[in-house]
Amino acid sequence: MKMKTAFVGLTTVIALSLPAQAEYPERPIELTIPAGAGGGTDTSARKLAILLEEALGTSIAILNVGGGGGSVGASQFMQSKNDGYSLFATWNSPLTTVPQVQNVAYSLDSFTPIASTSETAYTLCVKSVFPAENGQGFLDELASNPGKYTYGNDGIGGTMQLAAERIFQANKIDAIPIPFGGAGETLQNFLGGHVDIYGGSISTVLPYVENGEAKCLLVTSAADVPALPQASGLEALGMADKETLLWRAILGPKDLDPAIVKKLSDVIETAVNDPGYVEFLKTKGEVPNVVKGPDLGARLQAEFDALAEVSKGLGLSQ
Amino acid sequence: MEFYTNALQNVLTLWPIAAMVGATLLGVFIGALPGLNPVMAIALLLPLTYSMDPLVALAMVAGIYNGSMYGGAIPAILLRIPGTPASIATTFDGYPMADKGEAGKALKIACWSSAMGGIASAIALMTVGPLLARVTLYFGPAEYFWIAIFGMASVGVMVGSDPIKGIMAAVLGLLIGTIGIDSLSGQARFTFGQTWLLGGLDLIVVLVGLYALPPVLQLAEKCDLKGLSAAQLKLTNVPFKPGELKGLLPTWLRASSIGIAVGILPGAGGNIAAFLSYNAAKKASEDPGSFGKGNPQGVAAAECGNNADNAASMIPALSLGIPGNVVAALVLSALTIHGLQPGPQLFHQNPVLVGGFMMEMLITSLLIFLLGGTVATRVFAQFQRLPGVLLVPSILILMCVGVYVINGRPVDLWVMLLAGIAGYFLEKVNVPLAPVILGMILGPMAEQSVRRALLISRGDATELLTRPLSATLAMATVLVIAWPLIKVIRDRNRKKREAGHR
Repeated sequence: MKMKTAFVGLTTVIALSLPAQAEYPERPIELTIPAGAGGGTDTSARKLAILLEEALGTSIAILNVGGGGGSVGASQFMQSKNDGYSLFATWNSPLTTVPQVQNVAYSLDSFTPIASTSETAYTLCVKSVFPAENGQGFLDELASNPGKYTYGNDGIGGTMQLAAERIFQANKIDAIPIPFGGAGETLQNFLGGHVDIYGGSISTVLPYVENGEAKCLLVTSAADVPALPQASGLEALGMADKETLLWRAILGPKDLDPAIVKKLSDVIETAVNDPGYVEFLKTKGEVPNVVKGPDLGARLQAEFDALAEVSKGLGLSQ
Repeated sequence: MEFYTNALQNVLTLWPIAAMVGATLLGVFIGALPGLNPVMAIALLLPLTYSMDPLVALAMVAGIYNGSMYGGAIPAILLRIPGTPASIATTFDGYPMADKGEAGKALKIACWSSAMGGIASAIALMTVGPLLARVTLYFGPAEYFWIAIFGMASVGVMVGSDPIKGIMAAVLGLLIGTIGIDSLSGQARFTFGQTWLLGGLDLIVVLVGLYALPPVLQLAEKCDLKGLSAAQLKLTNVPFKPGELKGLLPTWLRASSIGIAVGILPGAGGNIAAFLSYNAAKKASEDPGSFGKGNPQGVAAAECGNNADNAASMIPALSLGIPGNVVAALVLSALTIHGLQPGPQLFHQNPVLVGGFMMEMLITSLLIFLLGGTVATRVFAQFQRLPGVLLVPSILILMCVGVYVINGRPVDLWVMLLAGIAGYFLEKVNVPLAPVILGMILGPMAEQSVRRALLISRGDATELLTRPLSATLAMATVLVIAWPLIKVIRDRNRKKREAGHR
């Protein structure tokens, strides 16, 4: 009986004369997340995985591989088989920022870009008594007082710091970076007056903008951010090319079959634009942003090159 | 008051209650298995609850969190294997008690103390917490540095009979803590080009190896084929001496206060709370020599201290939007999913939800009395009756599974094995293990804080002492270190005086 089933199955496959990928996916997919359980990347990937499971009709097993700012997970993932059953859900930093300061085993070529999912800008905020009321005033105050102000950030050589330094370098600003363990810790030290400037995610500081304790004067995106009316986007300051965002994407190992990439990127696009997911992203201050396939590769490369320039200027590069 | 009665009405419905009971049991189970920890369990479960009633989701968080803090005490007492980092201090007196045949009593004390700590902490969260939250902002890097040093000064109590070996162990922990990327310069330290070392050695991996492997090996050495008989366990007839329970009250009060104070500070955790509470209980005792030899006060202090950290750690998260640990961060993300914005306005936005979560923290602590005392303890204690030939391989398998799922990388198993071998030999030569873990926790905290403080002060070290809070903390640290010396001098003077009178 078993033999017969196997035989029937085999003949069906031959008869349809389709490559195995056409029926992709036919077994569970393993999704590697280069961060511990519970963080921003982890929660958004898990939520997305639930939608993808439904759309793909297979289950997705999630593997958290934390450490090294994401480089540990990326290094481990690059060795997986490129059969489409191993995927990588990451934020941009392990790919474009971490390699600037660490010796990592991978490069952008070690992955096949599939699709980006969402993005958000970082913001720079000051206490309400700070002597500036807009983005230009903020930059001027910093430029005319070199070495006077400290700014908290998410970690040395991290995307947030490089995003800020990219703007500072263009404006000849010398501010002192104080690295913390994350936006929550930065907020704590900013509210307590231990650092002058908050640098980090928008959603964390938002309640204090609303109660008037903090004012956010700059965002690291080209466009303005509606939630922060006082903050200037970089385009308004004539620096649209200095945009650095926090964004998330799903990638595969090197040389992944283009047919699989196509299928996955379409499914991801639909899932990301699911109203429930958009609502979920909103609570985290993120918006959907889908860049697919080779375009995503180009985006990664452009960001990598720009950040290489910045970290060289900071003396951080390997 | 209406705030809480409204919330209570919503909490005391079928699903939140079912979730609290189930999650507390699950939490005890997770805590009791070395390697599995509440953070992971909550992170895995929470995404599944996004579509549920938020009070049910938060009930699960509360139950797992409180239950696991107690659960960690079970293997700590029965097998000298701390189920979580926070239950290391529980092994000091819990295991000697079990060794004396008082396992049932130790488990009962641990259960009551956990519940007491949890209740005190939940009450703090519901009353003074939000008022105190703002004060924690005054703690900057300089203050955190002194807190870490203060914690290290408590190494003194756990060095045992040979201080030099204890200090060596602490230094070993400090060294292990320096492995990985230095978060202030971005440089890799002691990684020898190994990518997996960039994140440093995982505390739980080392803990499981160091603590769980040696007792397992010792069990194997005994080559025990029978296991303990039911009579040896003495689970039902717990002989409490008259006045013994009343004697625990001051310890509970002290440990709860310490746990709450540590919990309210973002970044300091239950493990530090347990060590400090244990230290304080020993210092306050009239018979400090009996600590480490099965003194119930030691178990009470450690377990009460680590549970008292729990609800208090939610204070900065709920009232300021600053998560002090990963569990608090997960709670915040659960709240934002349901459209709430953490921060000062949270209490007004949705009082039912916030008040309800606080109530759930309280109720799950009460549940520990009920579930921990009867169901869980009885079930788990039966494990000790398994013969060594069954117990040893089962614990080993659980350890490996627990360690593997933390980071999903096989190399952690080797780290665990190495740590275990090291632990086995360190124990053979009487080097205490607790200072190693304490060094691993406090070393990075002290180093990062002091360097941050110096970055902020542009290298001016006097700022570590000139701020009012940092100066106070520094003085407290000096006092703690100097206390034994002061005592010795005082005793000597008294003896001299007595000799002079003669």
